[in-house]
This record gives sequence, structure tokens and C-alpha cells, in this order.
Amino acid sequence: MTVQPDAPPSTAVIPVIHRHELIIIGGGLAGLRAAYEAVSSGINVAVISKVHPLRSHSVAAQGGINAALGNADTTTHDSWEAHAFDTVKGSDYLADQDAVATMCREAPAAVVELEHMGTVFSRDDAGHIAQRPFGGAGYPRTCYAADRTGHNLLHTLYQQVTVKGVTFYEEYFVTSLVTAGGACAGCTALCIQDGTIVGFLAKATLLATGGFGRIYERSTNALINTGDGLHLALEAAAPLKDMEFVQFHPTSLYGTNILITEGARGEGAVLLNKNGERFMKNYAPGAMELAPRDVVARAIETEIREGRGFPGGFVHLDLTSLGEPLINDRLPGIRQIAIDFAGIDPVTTPVPVQPAQHYSMGGIDVDVSGRTPLPGLYAAGECACVSVHGANRLGGNSLLDTLVFGKITAQTIIGDLPDLDPGGASVIEKAVVEEGNRIISLFHRGSEDNMYQIRDTLKKTMMDHFGVYRDGPSMDAGLIEILSLRDRCQQVGVPLMQTPYNLPLVHFLEITGMVRIAETVARCAIARNESRGSHARKDYPLRDDDHFLHHSLLVPDGDGTLKVRTSPVSLGMFPVKERVY
Amino acid sequence: MKFRVFRYTQGDDAPHYDVFETCGVPGMSVLAALTTIQEQQDPGLSFRSSCRGAVCGACAMLINKVPRLACRSQVTGLTDKKNLVHLSPYPALEVTTPWDPATEVLVEPLPHLPLLKDLVVDMTAFFDFLQSVDPVFHPREPLPGKEFHMEPDAVRKLERFTNCVLCGACFGACPVNSRNPKYPGPAALATLYRFHIDPREHDPGSRILAADTESGWWACEFHTNCTRVCPKGVPPAYAIGRARNELKQKRPGQPTRDLGDDGLSDISG
Repeated sequence: MTVQPDAPPSTAVIPVIHRHELIIIGGGLAGLRAAYEAVSSGINVAVISKVHPLRSHSVAAQGGINAALGNADTTTHDSWEAHAFDTVKGSDYLADQDAVATMCREAPAAVVELEHMGTVFSRDDAGHIAQRPFGGAGYPRTCYAADRTGHNLLHTLYQQVTVKGVTFYEEYFVTSLVTAGGACAGCTALCIQDGTIVGFLAKATLLATGGFGRIYERSTNALINTGDGLHLALEAAAPLKDMEFVQFHPTSLYGTNILITEGARGEGAVLLNKNGERFMKNYAPGAMELAPRDVVARAIETEIREGRGFPGGFVHLDLTSLGEPLINDRLPGIRQIAIDFAGIDPVTTPVPVQPAQHYSMGGIDVDVSGRTPLPGLYAAGECACVSVHGANRLGGNSLLDTLVFGKITAQTIIGDLPDLDPGGASVIEKAVVEEGNRIISLFHRGSEDNMYQIRDTLKKTMMDHFGVYRDGPSMDAGLIEILSLRDRCQQVGVPLMQTPYNLPLVHFLEITGMVRIAETVARCAIARNESRGSHARKDYPLRDDDHFLHHSLLVPDGDGTLKVRTSPVSLGMFPVKERVY
Repeated sequence: MKFRVFRYTQGDDAPHYDVFETCGVPGMSVLAALTTIQEQQDPGLSFRSSCRGAVCGACAMLINKVPRLACRSQVTGLTDKKNLVHLSPYPALEVTTPWDPATEVLVEPLPHLPLLKDLVVDMTAFFDFLQSVDPVFHPREPLPGKEFHMEPDAVRKLERFTNCVLCGACFGACPVNSRNPKYPGPAALATLYRFHIDPREHDPGSRILAADTESGWWACEFHTNCTRVCPKGVPPAYAIGRARNELKQKRPGQPTRDLGDDGLSDISG
């Protein structure tokens, strides 16, 4: 149905309903890897995305993908078990060890599979896929395509799925999941191009919408990373997990916060404070710049807070010793980004960097097969929490997560499909009409408030109260602010205008979700009275395994209030130890 | 700084231009300026964006009569000599509205594609052309147990073409695309060439035959606008020239529509 502002609320029109066996919401790596798997086994698959799939944020991943291929010349041989150990230790022992084992065991096959699909990886002199050192890893394990690994992988998968007959709904913004009989039966979506609301009826729905970094003022994420899938899950009463664990990447370009890959440090770049001191020796004397991201981000933040950063709040990432040929060969994108966006050539000049939000370890609660507790609803990639990243993700493990769990989740769905019955289309038709009327009502709200002010306040609140360092009183104040923003979202409207390519309408739908997601981060963070991985509390500086070696599980009650519960961590492969680098 | 922005809504008799003024901060991109204008002055302004870091290709548009990524175009640098791009002429570059490059930034939609709203164009034809060259890897069989062996040099040659983000800037810059509705355009042909030179391909030599038609490789006139505007340094004109040379060598004596010297020495890319 059309949702023009001047349209009367209506039930007279028969809504457009698209029918597929599987709908995948999100067209990044996890979504496309799942689509490839499902369509290859003859399933009718549609990918729904608010942008063209190639504009998905996976395309921006730079440094690489971890797999114990053992290609690098080392004295001992890398193994998937070593990869699993590094991942578990990196997670500060919060990752589920069975899930980590699955991911690391499948990693070499996942990388080789994409290579066989045509992905161009950088090579070593022997002609094998090149592997570089990355933070928290015991071996050079990160396979890469210069500093454009995500780009090469996404374009490869996009090429593969387009010829296999996946239906794409590009520039459709999913507004709600529809449940019937206690199962997910599909969704409603705004067609951005023509401003209509349509329905999707599907046996299985897979959320693969990526992260929510844009709730932070400083983020390396694309502008589209507003956590829409997590909001959809929450509204459908599917639990979220470990939302307090938000990764800050140590090295984002000062100013725009565009990512400067960990691969730069992997290739030998060093971090310097304003005194020219290589300060990582004071924080991680063993691993230095290649300590995990949480450790390096805290080190930089501390240097800045204690006055050893440069005015404005940054430190230097110095690549000058690498030399122009190596930079051009392995970090050409970084060089171009620094030139284009900061006017600095890393060949001759250190790059100003500061920590910025980068990744969400938490997400929609799924088991190791990709199922959410809601039948018919699945999740994979950054929007999901298996958990393989625990309290801190290692660089190079997110691309791996998307490929391995995109595939596994599709296989789960293929097995589940015969038992899933979404029922008839009437429940979707009803939902389309309700969504249409809800959206029309947004045009007629009387409030003078401004949604962009709400969003900007939210971003600042998250940065100030739920950033690299946290403490109880500050987080409590932050939550109060978030709740007041939530109330403002109930009042604020969308400017009156025709709906084709109506950006304010899309932004409104994003912002209301962002505020809700922020609340989940806040509630989980406040409930965890310890420091673990990326969750660093000034008032509880130590890890507390006796009380907090568990996942946070956020379950919406019927009235919309959010309760933080817990669920056990799967241990058994590696004993829980102190984490030192 | 003033922004003179192309406006169009389906059903309008004709497009028009609106002028906005926004205070530019040093380093501000055209995308950031458009965002500020949309949020603070005219919520109805429509444009695409995603990564804001010149890797996703969503925001290609005609800025000061050059197809560029809005996120990668610094407002203050547009008139710098080093950022001036000289293009072979085509209709979209003609004067459409009076504007003063010294005080205004002219922002228009990417040419050669149907208008949807303001700066948003329908990219369907662009992606259909891409599909027409079968842009999918066909590996040698049987597949090796591990990855294919590949020389680092082969990777470097391929990378020049796999770096394409499919933003469409080259398509919107190509004089041939302005008048030949059958021409796949630079990005599609560069992609085809990428598979042609991939040593892992099952039958790499045969791939270029897919565009061995009058409206394929042979329609290019080597204006090289594509290479000049590519935000990722991809040289489609070089690929086209190489492909044509190879086709000529494959069948000496067979007449081809000769458009003169392929000018490879000038198209170093």
C-alpha cells in the first residue's frame, strides 16, 4: 500500500505480498554467503536490503580474514586449535568454546572456497595466499587482499549469487517482522524507491543486517550501520546477547574516523605519543602494537586522557619506516584514504589516529547453528551473537564469522524448512496495513522536535557514557538520557512530503531503532560489574569470573521493558586464565 | 559555500536547481555538505550514500561537471588545479544552468541513467550491462585441494581491475554511453577483461570474445574519460585497448572496424 502523507488510513487496497521460502534481510557477506548456500540447494531465496548489496559495510573490511592455512614461514606450524586458543583468549574467555572451535576448524575451507569462487588474494613469493600478523594472534594467520579484503570477498559472492537466481529487493527497508503462531512468518518493508509498504511471506527469515556502530559519535562504520536487524528482533521478542561488548578500533583516522587497518601495524607501523614515545611498551610489552584491539584502544585513550596525545585527541600511527614500495603493495587503500580524507601521505608523514567504535560483539542471540529462540527466525554475521567473539573480537575474525556462520545457518535452514509453515498470507496482509497506517500517522505528529537532534544527542551520550572506559554513575546518567530520547521518539514526526526516496522517513525508522539498541547496550553494561575485554569499568577494574563468567541475555517483557538475565558460557577446550600480552 | 543542486521528482515538468548555502569546514566532503543540507535545510533532498570512505560506490554523481564520488570530493579542493579533470565533451557536460565555479559547487545526478529523484538515478541498466558480460569466475577443473597457485605479479595485474567499486562514474563519463544504448560501458568491459587475464580461469583466452561485437570492445572511441574519473584508479581504456589488440592478433587479415591507433602508449592508466 502507498504511504503518502495525504493518503487516508485504508484497508481497502490489497497489499502486495512477495512469497519466498527464505528471505534474507541484509546483503553483506553473511547474507550473501547464506544466499549462495541456500540457492545452490534449490531453495527460493530473496535478499532484501536497504541498499544495493555492494554498498553493504562488508565491502569496507580492510585487513583480512583469519585461517590457519600455515602458509607463512614459521618455525612451528599453525593449527586451527592455535587459532581457537587465540580467539578464546582474545575474547577474555567469554566466547563459547564449541562455537569458536567450529569457526576455526572451518576457516581454511571457507577461505579456499572463496578463492575458488574467484576472490583475488595477495600472494607470497611461493604463490600461496599471503598471511600477515594481526593483533592477538600467535601466527601470521590473516589472509588478505592488500587492504581491500572485504571488497574482494563481497564482489566475488555478489557475482556468484546473481547468476544463481537469487531475487534481490534493493532499497527496501524492513519495518517489522511478522509472527504467527509463535513463529516468524516474514516481514513488512518500505520500498524506498516508490514509497509503498509491501509484505514478505516466508518459511524462514534470516537477519544479516550487520552492526549498530552509528549509535556512537565516532565510528568506523558506514552511515547505514544503524542496527536495524537487532531492533527488528527485539520488537519480535527475540533476545539479544552481550550487548555491552562494543569494540573500539584503536586506529581510526582523526576527523572522519575512517578505519586504518590493523594490517598497518601487522606490516610494522608503530604508535607514538606526542613525545615521540612508543607507548605500547608500557601496556603490552610482549605484543606491543599487536596486542588485541581492546588493549591498544585503552592504551591510546589513556595516553590522550593523561595529556600525552596531540591537541584534539589523537596519537600518531607511523608507517614511514615501511617504505613506499611496501605501502603501495600491501596498504594502497590506506595511503589513498589518508591522502583523500586527511591530506596526509603515510609514506612521509605519521597518520593521526584515535579509537572509534568499530564492531559489536553482541547481537541477536543464536545458537551455533544460527537459530534464534523464535522458530523460523535466524541470524548470522555481526548482527548475531553466537558467541565466537565474547568480550573482544580479534581482527580478521569478523569476515570469517560471516562466511562460516552464513553457510552454517543456511544449512540449518535447509534442514528446518520442511518443518516450517508460515501459514497463509492474511497475517502478512494485516501487518502491511497496520504498518502503512502507522507510517502515515508519523507524518501527522504535531511535535516540533527534530529527529536529527535526537540522533546527535544519542551519539554523544553513547560516546561519553558507554565508550572505551565506563563507570557506574556515568552509565546510570547515560541511561536516563537514553530513556528521555526514547520518549522523544514517541513524539517526533516525519516532515510532510511525498514518499519516493523519502530520506527522513528512512532516518526516522533507523533512529527509533538506534535509541532502542542504545538502551540495550546501556542496560547490559550497567549490569556487568567487572572489566572484561572491551567492557572496561573504572569502578570495577578487574575481571570477576566468580560472578560474571556468563553471557548477558536481554529479554523483552511483554510490556516492552528490558530485563538483563544471564546464560552460561560454553567452556571445556581451554582453561580460563589471566589474560596477559 | 553555495551548492547549486539538481532537483527532480517524477511527475515534474522539468528538473530545476536549488541553491543552498552551508558553512564549509576544512576537509568537508560534498557528501557531508549534502547531508547537512538535507538534515537542516531541505529534508526532501534525496541522494544515496553508505560508506563515506570511497569504498562502497553508492554516491557517484556529477560534481562540477565531473562524475565523482561525493564522499571523496573535498568541497574546498574542487577548484584546485590538481583536482581539475579534463574530459572529452558529451551532452551532460554542456551548460545546464548558470553557475559560478569560484563560489558554487554544482551537483547533478550521474549522467546516462534514468532519473528517479533529485540525485538518485536508476542503476538497473548499468548492472544489467555488467551481467551481460557474465562477470563470474569460471575456474579450471579440477579444483586444487588448496588455493590455486598464483604469482604475485599476476595478482598485481588483476588488482588494477578488481579494485572497481561499480559506482558508475565511468559510465556517466563516457561519451559513447551518452549516445549508444547498446554499449556495455567501461566498468562492464573492465570487469570482463579482469576475468580474461585471470590465470585461474578455465579458458581465459575465450572470455574476451563475449564482447567482440560492434557495440562491445569495438564501440570504444578512446576518449579515456573513464580512466580519468575512476575514483579507484581502474584503467578501463587500457583494458579495452589490450583486448582489441589481442583480438586483432588472433585473426590477422580479418577486417575490423578500425578506429585508428588504440593509443596504448598514451593510456598508461
